Amino acid sequence: MRATVAASVILVLTASAAAQIRLPWFDGRSREHETREATNIPYDGRFVFVRLSYPSTTGRFGYGRGAPWAHDHPRAERNFMKILREITYIRPYTDGGNVLALDDPELCQFPVAYMSEPGFWTLTDRQAAALRAYLLKGGFVIFDDFGGREWDNFAAQMKQVLPEGRLIELDVSHPIFHAFFEIESLDFVQFYDRDETARFYGVFEDNDPKKRLLLVANYNNDIGEYWEFSDTGFVPIDLSNEAYKLGVNYVVYAMTH
Amino acid sequence: MGFLAGTVFDSLFELLFRYSPLVFRQGEVRFALSRTAYVTAVAVGAAAASALLTYRVVRGGADRRDRVVLVAIRLVAIALVLFCLARPVLVVKAAVPGQNFVGVLLDDSRSMRIADAGGRPRSAFVTAELDPEHGSLLARLSDRFAVRLFRFSASADRARSVRELRFDGAQTRLTDALLRAREELAGLPLAGLVLVTDGADTTQSAVTDAIGALKAEGVPVFTVGLGDESIDRDIQVSHVAIPRAVLKNAALVVDVTLSHAGYGGATVLLDVERDGRIVSSQEVTLPGAREPATVRVRFTASESGPQVFRFRVPPQPGELVAENNARDVLVEVEDRREKILYFEGEPRFEVKFLRRAVADDKNLQVVVLQRTAENKYLRLDVDHPDELVAGFPKTREELFAYRGLVLGSIEAAAFTGDQLRMISEFVDRRGGGLLMVGGPRAFAEGGYAGTPVADVLPVVLDRPAQGSSPFLAWLNVRPGRAGVAHPAVQIAPTEQASAARWKDLPPVTSVNPATRIKPGATILLTGGDAQRREQVVLAYQRYGRGKSLAFTVQDSWLWQLHASVPVEDVTHERFWRQLLRWLVDGVPERVMVKAAPDRVDPGQEVTLVAEVADGAYLDVNNARVVARVTAPSGRSTEVPMQWTGEGDGEYRGAFAPDEDGIHEVHTEAARDAATLGADLSFVRVAAGDEEYVDPAMRAPLLTRIATETGGRFYTPDRVASLPDDLRYTGRGVTTVEERELWDMPVLLVLLVGLLLADWSYRRVRGLA
Repeated sequence: MRATVAASVILVLTASAAAQIRLPWFDGRSREHETREATNIPYDGRFVFVRLSYPSTTGRFGYGRGAPWAHDHPRAERNFMKILREITYIRPYTDGGNVLALDDPELCQFPVAYMSEPGFWTLTDRQAAALRAYLLKGGFVIFDDFGGREWDNFAAQMKQVLPEGRLIELDVSHPIFHAFFEIESLDFVQFYDRDETARFYGVFEDNDPKKRLLLVANYNNDIGEYWEFSDTGFVPIDLSNEAYKLGVNYVVYAMTH
Repeated sequence: MGFLAGTVFDSLFELLFRYSPLVFRQGEVRFALSRTAYVTAVAVGAAAASALLTYRVVRGGADRRDRVVLVAIRLVAIALVLFCLARPVLVVKAAVPGQNFVGVLLDDSRSMRIADAGGRPRSAFVTAELDPEHGSLLARLSDRFAVRLFRFSASADRARSVRELRFDGAQTRLTDALLRAREELAGLPLAGLVLVTDGADTTQSAVTDAIGALKAEGVPVFTVGLGDESIDRDIQVSHVAIPRAVLKNAALVVDVTLSHAGYGGATVLLDVERDGRIVSSQEVTLPGAREPATVRVRFTASESGPQVFRFRVPPQPGELVAENNARDVLVEVEDRREKILYFEGEPRFEVKFLRRAVADDKNLQVVVLQRTAENKYLRLDVDHPDELVAGFPKTREELFAYRGLVLGSIEAAAFTGDQLRMISEFVDRRGGGLLMVGGPRAFAEGGYAGTPVADVLPVVLDRPAQGSSPFLAWLNVRPGRAGVAHPAVQIAPTEQASAARWKDLPPVTSVNPATRIKPGATILLTGGDAQRREQVVLAYQRYGRGKSLAFTVQDSWLWQLHASVPVEDVTHERFWRQLLRWLVDGVPERVMVKAAPDRVDPGQEVTLVAEVADGAYLDVNNARVVARVTAPSGRSTEVPMQWTGEGDGEYRGAFAPDEDGIHEVHTEAARDAATLGADLSFVRVAAGDEEYVDPAMRAPLLTRIATETGGRFYTPDRVASLPDDLRYTGRGVTTVEERELWDMPVLLVLLVGLLLADWSYRRVRGLA
């Protein structure tokens, strides 16, 4: 039922935006340009999508894709926030979101953050300490858009943040997959990397799977990409639908657990 | 000092009038005029008249005023002589020796051991004066009356001799003693009762009942007060304000009142002990001039079950009574999960952080009903799959199963009219705790103005102006005047540390501009923004049987996640645990039993009063209520309880435990075949410490008993006249006696005074 509603909203978004928005990969404008246009809004009680920025191992991607952390920014969050507003009673800021460094004190006013391309993520000791404090005090981070060998870098950086933390694979029975939508299967059909199976990892408080999840990592997956293109027709609706379901569940879980 | 003035008056009266006021009160003044006296009186009268005439014709240097004065003086002098000639007599009914009874009631309690009678114990007077062989008072009483001795403390019994007294009774019950003696001596010619005591009555009841009964029968009570009226050097734990039952691991804040005499300015230790181990200790500097000190003591009730806490000040050098330096109190530490329903209308971070804050508190269960979308709910920490499956409770039985209710950002329109009334009744009738947390759908912003819930809330809900822009304030929160010492908002171990911590906490936001509270409400926390605008942050009020709280902040989680708060900081956890524990503190069960008193001496009766209600918390008058009392030895007895007929749902029963130790009282109520509920309470059986509370002799009480019954109050140094006074009570077998009054010293004093006045006046006026 909810999935149908989500799909309907995606269709509406698609219809209204298709005429105006062209695929950014091919429009000659860099995403970094859009990033520079972004301005952070102060906390006012609403839910604000926070994207974590970081210095990357590669600097910029090829094809004008900008810094790895900015991948899918800002259209991914804009679309996701609209979905969140339409589907749930959450009060989100819908015109994009904030971009914050890991050691920015402002981060601690936003208990959910999103990081794209952690396969290219680097961090200083200060940033590691700040992220560690954020997670232990109750913050929640969604890691997205990485796969294959990129895992190694992600795991290494996480070791720096939470040396004692173990990345544990989640199965579909975990409450995060039932916080809003009842997700019955984690077998995602991939759009780009058809050979790789999407997997979901998390770190638990005290490494106890019965306790709170501090983060979720969408390995071999890229839900931000599906959010970004959900209004273009570039990605199949079913896939966008599943990506939104995951995103909504992550946020509702982070607000209640 | 009233009794002292009375004593001086009595002595003076007796000196001038030969007999005590008591004898005059009982007797009647008459004139026994004989024929000779009559003739003499006429002669004196004639002489007086001629003297007056003589004055009239005298034309000396005296003017009219001098003559009036001199005539008046002489007339009064002549009148006095005439009065004496008329032979005034006091007709009294005097007890016939050996024909009447006197009941002597002797205090056999422990306070009689206090050595404030010139360094000797109070009991020394009893053992000396009433000794069967050497007691002079007993001997003089026995000369005139048949003396019946009674000893009393917690109960009163006949005694053959003072040698039976042990002075070890744990209580003093004056009323019971007086009524027992009256009953025992009923039908006998009774001259009166003599009550020998320090007056340290340990019962809560007034002696009015006994006074009334004795007064109605005309039995006078002669009281003998033993001991000093004030103790010079003493420290006493006078009062301990502590709840009867608390939740395990509750941070207790207890007010202890210390009274003292002679230790102003001294610094003493106040210890709290449990099972001989000190759980809290602090220094107290006593204020001067017998002013009591109220001391706030903090400790944690970490062990469950009935716990006896001892509040104790070690005996000080030179202290006369050390026994009143400690006070034991029984506290039932409950190890149970208090179930609280938290209904949140929109997904937001307060839910997550509140749940985290209380996650490790084994005594709190916060069941979350999270509305995530229209008609879509997430249920967390429910006990069974069906709990809250249909959303917010629709029946009173379902809602009243919780002890606390937290309403988050959920608009009033989300409830039916009946549900809003149910929430009101949850506080008013069920006695639950209601907490509304700030948010865009809470308080006036949530449309609660004018609803039954608005009546319950401690803040006044002003409807937001139409079209006004949304309110948002960044608030620095600090305790209000009442919050400084309130346990619910103490976020650090001491008051000072708590105040400092509040100052350090990061600001939070509110979208509910509550500034006014209801007349009976109290502000615990206030908040000020950058423009110094103030608003209520946390307020509470009692409403019916329960209480309601308003917390207008929407993101207290900032006290946890904010960059300035260290990872290991537990302020946020402490705040929510304390607040939620306080929310459900004292919330009644369907069956509630109170034992009164909860500390008794062996054999003393305990009254159990049960309040019984059904699932909707409606009083039940036709229940079968039985209390099972289990003694420390494991022996158990059943105490049936009956509906009192005085109050709806109120049942009463009584039992008298005879074993020392803590007795468990398990009370069950059932109607038809269905159990309504059960309650567990405890009674401590131990020798009490009340005997030494306020140990000074209570002269005002003893004077009142004596005066109102027609008797007299004595101190040991004035007790010699007691046997004589007893003769003239007019009670029992009496003979009428006439006592001459013409030779009263007061008449001579007056006569001499008048002559002196006459002489002095003449000298001054130059008439002599």
